[in-house]
Amino acid sequence: MLSHGALCRLAAEKARDADYNPEVKKRILRYGAPVGSSLAHYHQLPRCMDLLRRRVRDNTAPSPATGQVIRADRLTGSSGRFSRSWHAPVGGLYLALLWADTLLPDFSRQLPFAAGIACCESVREFIPAAHLQWVNDVRIEGRKICGILSETVSATDGEQFHLIGIGINVNTRKFLLKLEPTATSLYLTTGKEVDLDGFCALLLARLQWNFGLLYYSEEQFLAGDRAGNHRDKSPLLQRWQELSDTLGRIVTYGYDVQTKPLYQARVIDIDAAGGLVMQLPDGSKITEYSGEISYDTDV
Amino acid sequence: MASDSIHFDKILSKYRSDPYDYVDMFAVHAGEVHFLVEDEAEVQGVSGEWHHRPGSPLYEITRERNPKIITSKTNGTVSYVNKEVEGKFVEAGTRLLTIQHPLKKKEIIEAILQEVLYLFPAPERARYYFSMDIQSRIDQKGARSIVIQPGDEIITMSLMKRDTPVYYDGEAGILHSLYFSPGDSVDQGVPLIGVCPEEKLAVVQKIITRVKAEWE
Repeated sequence: MLSHGALCRLAAEKARDADYNPEVKKRILRYGAPVGSSLAHYHQLPRCMDLLRRRVRDNTAPSPATGQVIRADRLTGSSGRFSRSWHAPVGGLYLALLWADTLLPDFSRQLPFAAGIACCESVREFIPAAHLQWVNDVRIEGRKICGILSETVSATDGEQFHLIGIGINVNTRKFLLKLEPTATSLYLTTGKEVDLDGFCALLLARLQWNFGLLYYSEEQFLAGDRAGNHRDKSPLLQRWQELSDTLGRIVTYGYDVQTKPLYQARVIDIDAAGGLVMQLPDGSKITEYSGEISYDTDV
Repeated sequence: MASDSIHFDKILSKYRSDPYDYVDMFAVHAGEVHFLVEDEAEVQGVSGEWHHRPGSPLYEITRERNPKIITSKTNGTVSYVNKEVEGKFVEAGTRLLTIQHPLKKKEIIEAILQEVLYLFPAPERARYYFSMDIQSRIDQKGARSIVIQPGDEIITMSLMKRDTPVYYDGEAGILHSLYFSPGDSVDQGVPLIGVCPEEKLAVVQKIITRVKAEWE
């Protein structure tokens, strides 16, 4: 696995084509540099996020370092949201990242977008057809290749941290029967094995860039219209939109769309805070800031 | 928090003589204001199955050439319009108008209870659900069997697929009133739960019984 210095150099190399001037690129990379500040690699864990959560709540230890990453080759107690199954056998990349809560609330809620963009960009290096589905599902022809969990935890002294858990089906060859129709992996899509350490480094480099881009978005906001109008999408959300195939779709929306779908609508925009703007069949508009969607039709 | 010596008659007569809620509307931010309603106009609140249809337009506020129309959250009659500021620049928080909202019996009970209970508000506009432990205890024995303490993790706030535990920081007591269903979208500041100290529970029950019995 790469050292932190080598990881930062990889992030800079991957940012070479990004459409920003060199000074801005440096600032973005500096903001995101703590990602991967330390990396602990385990053969097997129940869940990576549990370990980080314990570190945050351990009041006998000093404040945990932001950007630290826990990685495991397989997870024995993994799950998705709402206790959904997440199969985590050997061959996938499973990691959790700890990030101190240093963003304004309007921007910290965009961390799940930054994580999703990083995952999608990493997958796209192998499969250009990968897209983001609001908020941060990475899918290839409708099948899920990546799962992201995001939560906030408070230390006993009140300091808040974000935990981002990421699972990517990299070399996974077989899924549980119930997941087979909806899941895929890089291996199953390309027929080729991918070097897991290299893919992990690539993902962390992309996370450095996109977390940095989120901080740069906040910086731009603070430098400009502080009044809260949010008229323009941030650079981060602009990038999200480039990678997403959600706009224009007829979708089913629900807080838990699999078990409790609420309504069907057409996605017409993503607002400046990342909210999903939809048009209902009666022509009225509704904007949602949480929950999830499933696609009903093509664009 | 009310004491045991709650004056039922006084509370009830207050609502009998004036069964309305007066909802003041303040400038949401600084800007130039133009009213879209007049005194005594009837206005409607939000509607639609998903609360997606906005209420009646009340005023337009323009800041840096960015006009925003503010709509009514509740139904009722406009009882006051601050006409002095029509077409002028106002600071955020300036009182602009008042809506007289007729209260239903259920709303009166709720209004009285909200004076008596400790109300725990939503920290942000988000979707909320109970922590797994609290939800399973609600499912098994009902909310009013649950005593919560300051520092308890009671609710999870979900925003952009990010879950944040919400810790209770009010008075210890019984989970008396639930103001949301799991997965509901709740605006910032709106109460999520009402908590009643155990020793006040009998008083609260008396209020509800009395209002139900005496209110037409």
